[in-house]
Parts: sequence; C-alpha cells; structure tokens
Amino acid sequence: MLLLEAILLTVIVASTPLLLAAIGELVVERSGVLNLGVEGMMIMGAAVGIVAAITTGSSALGVAAAVAAGMAMAAIFGALTLGLAANQVAAGLALSIFGIGLSGVVGAGSVGVPREGIGQIALPLLSDIPFIGHVLFRQDPFVYASFALVAGVSWFLWRTRAGLVLRACGENPASAHALGYLVLRIRFLAVLFGGACAGLAGAYLSLVMTPFWSSGMTAGRGWIALAIVVFASWLPWRAALGAYLFGGVTILQLHAQGAGVPLPTQLLAALPYLITILVLVLIMALRRGGGGGPQSLGTPFVPDR
Amino acid sequence: MTLSRRHLMTGAAALAGSAALPGPAAAQDRANVGMILIGPVGDFGWSHMHDQGRRRMLEVLGDRVTSNLVESVAPPDFDRVATQLIRTGARLIFTTSFSYFAPTQRLAPRHPNVFFENATGPATLPNMAVYNARFYEGRYVQGVIAARKSRSKQIGYVATFPVPEVIHAINTVMRGAWSVDPSMRIRVVWVNAWSNPGREAEAARALIDQGCDVLCSHTDGPAPLQLAEQRGIHGFGQASDMTRFAPNAHLTSSVNSWGDYYAARARAVLEGNWQASDTWGGLGSGMFSLAPFTNMTPEQASEAERIRDALANGTLHAFDGPIIRQDGTPVIPAGQRLTDDQIRAMNYFYQGIDVAMP
Amino acid sequence: MRLVLERRAETPWTLNLLSPLLAVGLTLASAVLVFLAMGQDPWQALWVYFLMPLSDSWGLQEVAVKATPLVLIAVGLALCYRSNNCNIGAEGQFLLGAIAGGGLAVAMHGADAGRWLLPAMLGVGALAGAAWAMVPALLKTRFGVNEILTSLMLVYVAQLLLDWLVRGPWRDPDGFNMPHTVVFGAEATVPLLLEGGRLNLGTPIMLAVVVLGAVLLGRTLKGFEITLVGEAPRAARFAGFDEKRLTWTVFAITGALAGLAGVLEAAGTVRQLQPDLSPGYGFTAIIVAFLGRLNPLGCLVAGVFLAITFIGGENAQIMLQMPLDVTRVFQGLLLFYVLACDTLLLYRPRLLRRSGA
Repeated sequence: MLLLEAILLTVIVASTPLLLAAIGELVVERSGVLNLGVEGMMIMGAAVGIVAAITTGSSALGVAAAVAAGMAMAAIFGALTLGLAANQVAAGLALSIFGIGLSGVVGAGSVGVPREGIGQIALPLLSDIPFIGHVLFRQDPFVYASFALVAGVSWFLWRTRAGLVLRACGENPASAHALGYLVLRIRFLAVLFGGACAGLAGAYLSLVMTPFWSSGMTAGRGWIALAIVVFASWLPWRAALGAYLFGGVTILQLHAQGAGVPLPTQLLAALPYLITILVLVLIMALRRGGGGGPQSLGTPFVPDR
Repeated sequence: MTLSRRHLMTGAAALAGSAALPGPAAAQDRANVGMILIGPVGDFGWSHMHDQGRRRMLEVLGDRVTSNLVESVAPPDFDRVATQLIRTGARLIFTTSFSYFAPTQRLAPRHPNVFFENATGPATLPNMAVYNARFYEGRYVQGVIAARKSRSKQIGYVATFPVPEVIHAINTVMRGAWSVDPSMRIRVVWVNAWSNPGREAEAARALIDQGCDVLCSHTDGPAPLQLAEQRGIHGFGQASDMTRFAPNAHLTSSVNSWGDYYAARARAVLEGNWQASDTWGGLGSGMFSLAPFTNMTPEQASEAERIRDALANGTLHAFDGPIIRQDGTPVIPAGQRLTDDQIRAMNYFYQGIDVAMP
Repeated sequence: MRLVLERRAETPWTLNLLSPLLAVGLTLASAVLVFLAMGQDPWQALWVYFLMPLSDSWGLQEVAVKATPLVLIAVGLALCYRSNNCNIGAEGQFLLGAIAGGGLAVAMHGADAGRWLLPAMLGVGALAGAAWAMVPALLKTRFGVNEILTSLMLVYVAQLLLDWLVRGPWRDPDGFNMPHTVVFGAEATVPLLLEGGRLNLGTPIMLAVVVLGAVLLGRTLKGFEITLVGEAPRAARFAGFDEKRLTWTVFAITGALAGLAGVLEAAGTVRQLQPDLSPGYGFTAIIVAFLGRLNPLGCLVAGVFLAITFIGGENAQIMLQMPLDVTRVFQGLLLFYVLACDTLLLYRPRLLRRSGA
C-alpha cells in the first residue's frame, strides 16, 4: 500500500466522526437552534452503541441504539429550549455534563469487554478504481453514510421546499410562523436529526474506530464538530472540507512525529487548531465578509397566539 | 447505608479535636482508607487498576477496612477532597498521581495522624510514603520479544507525555531489543493524553503505515493493540491483561496489580506499624506482572520467561552501564548502575535512538 | 392537550422567588426518587449533597474557593454575551493568565522580590488573558471570522502552550523532570484570610468585581451601550455606538477577568504551574453566566450554586459511595430544572386543548 494512500485512509477514519456530528449540528443551527451539547449526545451514542452491541451481539442493533440514544438526548434539549424556551447555550452545556455522566453509568458494566469492530465493505466496481477507489470505496458503512449525509443535507436544504422552510425558521422565525409554518415543530425535528447524527458519530468511535467502551472516549470531538460547523459557514460541503482539513492535519502531525520531525510535540499537536483558524481567516479575507450564520441562531422563538 | 448523619457529624467533630484520634503508632480494630484518582474508574487503565487494587484490599481485609473513593480529581480540588476524606475518618489515603505529589506533601504535615501514600512521587515525609512499580522491567522484556518478532526491525511506541517514566520506558524497550538485535529502531508518537482511544488508534495507524510491525503503548486503552490485530502485526497490552482484545496480535501485557500492596499498607495501619517507605517494586514484588506470553514460538516464550525471571531475581538489570546519551555524552561507564533517583529523573534518550527528544 | 407559552408583560416579583424554589422542589423530588432507586436514604443523601458543604466554616470557605474563579469568569462572559459576542474560549484566557502570572513567579523565584510581586502577577495575568481574548476579537472585527471557532480553538492552543512550558523551559529543576514548575514562594502566593481553611484574597477580589460589573452594567453609559448593542444593534448603530470598539472592549474585559481568575488559581490553590491546572472552569463559567441571567449579581448566586453542586458531588462520592458519573447525572438534572423553571419568569405556561396550530 502506498504511504499516501494509507495516510488518506487514516484521515478519513479520523474525520468521519467529526463530519457526522458536524452535519447534524449544521442542520440544527440552520433551523435557528444552537445546541452546544454535541459532546454529550455523542458520548451517549458511544456508550449506548457499544453496550447494546455487546448485549444483543449485533452491531446493527448497536448502531440503531446509538442513534436512538442521541435522539433521546436531543429530545431533552428540545423540550427545554423549544418547549420551555430555556436558554440554549446553558441547556446545551448542561446536556454535555448530563451525557458524560449518564454514559459513564451506562458503560460501567462494559469496561474492559472486547467486541469485534464493524469492518470495511468494498463497493463493487467503484472500489476497483485505482487509488481513488481504494481510498474512498473500501471503507466502513459509516464513511459511506457520511458521504450520503453531506450530499443529502445539501440537497435537502437548497433543493427542497422543506429545506427552505427549515432555513426560514433559522433566519426569520416570526415570518415563517406568520406564513403558517410550525416553527417549533420544525426546529424540534432538526434538533432530533442533530441528535441522531451525534449518536451515529459516537457509535463510530465505540464500534468502528476503537471497539470498546472507555469513560470520556469522545475526548472533546463534539466540540471540534461545533467548530467545524462555524468553519463551514453553515454549508454542508464546507463542513466536509473542515472535517477533512482538521483530521488531515491531525494525522499528518502524528506522521511527522513518527518520522522524527524535531519540533516540540505540543507545537505539532496545536497545528490542527492553528491551521483551522488560519484557513478560515484566509477564506474570510478572500471572500470579503459574507457567510454569516443564520440570523436567529440561538434566539428562542415563542409564537404569539 | 454505611454512615448515618450523626456519624458524619462525629467525624467532623473528631477532626476539631484530632488529639482524640489514636496516635500514629497505635493498633486499631478498623480503619477507613481513602483513595483519590486522577482519572475516571472507567478509563480501563491507570485509575481503573488502582480501583481494582482497592477492591482487592477490601477483599483481603474484610470488614476491618472500609474505603471511600473519589474519581477524576483535578489538582485544584485535591486539598478539599483529601481533607473531606480525613474529616470522614480516613486514616490512610492513597493519592494516585504524580500531580498530587506537591499537594500531598503540603497537606501531610497538617494531619500528622493520617498516613498518606503517593504514587508516584520521589520523596517521603514522616507520615507520607511513596510507591510505584518498576514497569520498565516489563519494557525490557517487551524489547526482547519485539526484536524476535519484528521483520521490519522497527518498533512503534504510542507514548503519552514526555515524563521520565515514559522516557526511561522507551529507553528500556530499546535496550531489551538491542540485546537481541543491535539493528533495531524505534519510532515514537506522543498523543498528549493518558487516555484518548481515538487518538491512540490514529497514532497506531501512523506508526504501522511507517513500517513498524510491533507496537508498544504507554496509553491506557487497548486501542493500539486492536489496530495491531486488524493490521496483522503484533503488540503489547498495558495496565491489564489485554489478550482478549487481540487474540492474534497480543504478545504479553504489563499488568498492574496494586491490591497486595494496598492490603499490606492498610494492615500496617491496623497493626500500628505503618512506616513512611519509598517502595519501587519490580517484577519480583507482585506490584505488576506480565500476562502469559502468546503468539510466539515456545523458544521465544521461554527466552522471554528467562529474561523476566532474571530481572525479577536481580541477576539482570535494565540500567547497567555503559549508558550514553543520544548526543554521545556518557552518563555512567560499564560496571556502574544508575541510581533510582537518576532513573526517576531520566530526561534523555540513549545513543542509537534516532528520535528527537520532545 | 399541549403546552404553550405566553410572554408575560412583566415578571411579578413573587416569581423571582418562586422559580428557584420550584426548581429546588423538583430537584428534591427527583433526588428522592434517584436516591431511593439507588438504595440510599434520600434525606441523608440530600443533606450530604446540599447542606454539608454549608455546615461549617471550612465547608463555606471551600464553596467560596470553588466559586471564585467561576464567578470572576462569568461576570466577564456576561458582558460578552449581552453584547452578542459569543466567546466560549474563557478556558484558554484563564490558562494564559495563569501562564503569565505564574511565569513571573517562576522568573522571580529565589530572588528577593518583595511585596510588589503578587500585584504584578495579577496585573500581568489579567493583561495576558485580555491579549489572548483580543485574538478572536480582532479576527472577528477585521475579517468577520466567527468568534465561536477562534475562541474555542485557542483553548486547545493555550493548553498545549502551558504543557510545553512546564515540561520545557519552566520545569522545576529539582522536580525530577516532572511536568510542573517550582512551588511559588510566599510572596508569590495569594494570602489566606482565615485560619483553618483555604479562603484567600481571591474571593474579596471576586466580590469587588461583581459590584463593579453591576455598577458598570446598571449605572454607566458603557453598560447601556453593551445592552443596547446586544438587544437592538440597529438602534445602537443609530445612536452612534461603535460596535467594533465595543467588541474589543468586552473581549478585553472578559479575557482580563478570566486571566485574573487563572493567576489567582495558580497562585492561590495550586501554587505552581502544571498541565492539569483547570478542571474546566472556563467552560463551567458559561453555564454560570447564563444561569445568572447575564447579570453580575446573578452570576454570584449561580456560581455559588454550581460550586455547591460540585462539592456536593465529591461529598456524595465519599460518603454515599456514589460513582462520579451519578453525581454528574444529578448535576445535569439539576441544571435542567433550573433552566426549565426560569421560563416561568418570562412566560406563562398554559395547557391548551389541541385546536390546530
């Protein structure tokens, strides 16, 4: 295997959980809701996913359970911030604390239990394409799901009426309401979708990347996913770019260490963060403004009757 | 229900007049033992194994000992947690991180009737012992095995932070490897975490992609070993026996077992003969052991056993001279041996390791 | 049947009392259920969790020590959030303050520094925190780069910078090459205020900051400007307020306060620099700021409340053998209740029979 090919394969694995969670959060934020609880939903997905897979013996059920767990967490958040118009930032952070704790409770019995991971599936024909086929089409199902989600969300937001309505809820909920759309219901569905994606990202960690449970195993990836949504200026394709950029620099710095590059490891480890900032500054500087977030992001909406 | 509210109140009251407590040397029927962990019990590594040791202590000593545990305590919170343990009646407290060394040292003189044990500090006080295990002895055996198993002659090391414990472990792996084949090389990736399974797996992939075919890891989880299994190479487990995580890749694991030490120290408190000691237990001490050697020929296994036993009974030493730094400066000549303090403070790689010191 | 909210014209003062009481009531009710389910005596558990931290002078001092950094950071964040600047990187600004102030302590270690050292450390720490916060502020005003990303990413950079310093140039020469600096000398340590506890000068400083923050917001033109820019940016522009300058100002204040909290923590409770200096104060303070309704006095109350729940969680681990994770779940639940009950202040909930939209 070529080294470049190997590196790209690793980059995709490293970036996929970030991308999955970021795509979900992107839809949530497009609907006008800021859910900072991605880390909490993701780690619940990781814990419930592996525990369900161990209990039932089925990885598919594990994934389903992880998605359900992410959605259940999101539902709590939705009930608070949409049903009761609670502050979104605080509720999201509280959700993270709650999720980190609950995942530990759920996972406690499964510490140190091994499980077979979910393997790769080579797509027929496509995987035979030299290089590209090897890198992109000999992957695990989650990677394909992330490709599909990027394309699907992009199509949904800009090519469907429902997507237009969702974006309207994020830009100007009062107008959307005046037009007869149920803003809160739409936002709630978006929040659930975000939870499902975060749960899926968690399952990727505990069922594919490192198939076992360990406390706090998301290690801040939910926060990076949030940053990627911002990096993307709320555009799905750019979320993919952001996730692969971040994952790519992360893997390259690990390779640089392995190759013995004589720089402080802390500097190398800081590179993904610094380069993400730098690239975003460049993008913004070249495009001269533009690309702001949804107008009503983070503001509760309470319909007048 | 273990404690009533009144009991708690008396605990607090007893602190106010701590002269009422038995003096350090008095034997007692029962003792409460506290433990403060730097990470969560569920980390399946360092903190998990300390908790396992605590459970073992409870098993051994039965109802003469009760025990309380606090997880994931950051250093700014240490003083409060330790004091609260003391107020609830702890007579012996294990503080299981070197981040707690300075705070424990500060706290101990204020509570002369309580015994403190810090892993893995370098100095003692009249009521503060320190303890650690000579995990590097296991690293030496890993190096020997790695040199036998590797075809590419490259060992990959998933490292945590550049602290002396990790640095002397890397040096010792290579010393073991060179004893078999002086052409062995090592690549090191620092993940800047004690536990971050995803990052550990990414580091392992990077090392494998660069041609390493035996992986050592200093991080807590089985992630590097799982990667080794996936990619058809070999690796070593860390902290507990990880054979089941990689039945075809696992060579051996370094298994922490603090239980007997904890039981002995708690018993010493019960019997009134606790002494502030500096314990650094090797393979012979039972503070850690090597899991059964797997996935190797009988000759390789018996060689590994021979080396292990030689280290355990002291006929082989991992830090015998000559020791020369990476840049060629001699540390000690042949015939001498590094002192424990020199090993504890090691901050250089040996000559022949072509990895930059971070 | 479904629940709808109606905006209140004004909040009756009774509700300001009733809402927290209701939250406490709900918490107690579910705590009783949780503890019963775990086989604990619920009353004893409640006592351990909520009252024990307040039961004596030592406990109260610990609450103050724990609340001090939270409140200090939250007061600054409140200004930021009021003016629509979403700084979530206070953790990094906190660490930079600790690094700069601690660095000065390390540099002066062993020299006969005298009484000016601690004030200088506090000043340098505040400046460094402010400087670190100015990075996202400038990137926002100059290039339109969203501050959520930059402030968050700089947290990780700050952590790695601290890590590098304490393992490299600032490592304690007699510390067996372990990753920490020397233990600060007496003149570089925040003085303790009371016997038998850890209450230090940081707490009065924090209280002064709360008062200053309240005065700034309630009584000054700047405070009016901050609130107006946040609530009605167009009107603020019309009134001639410069949004860019305001962004710089609030980021600088927040950074300075977080930096001050950092150096107080380094020189007060920890007394040396080491990698695990903060248990996430900069992030927890975000909750404190919003629970305190972005009001400095509210931040004080919320900070003390959160400090109690953290200490209560530790007590529950010690005395009830409750795992850390259960205490976190409980803390999460508690926050949910408080947030939910807050709704009552602004809205009147009504159950309606389903009748279309």
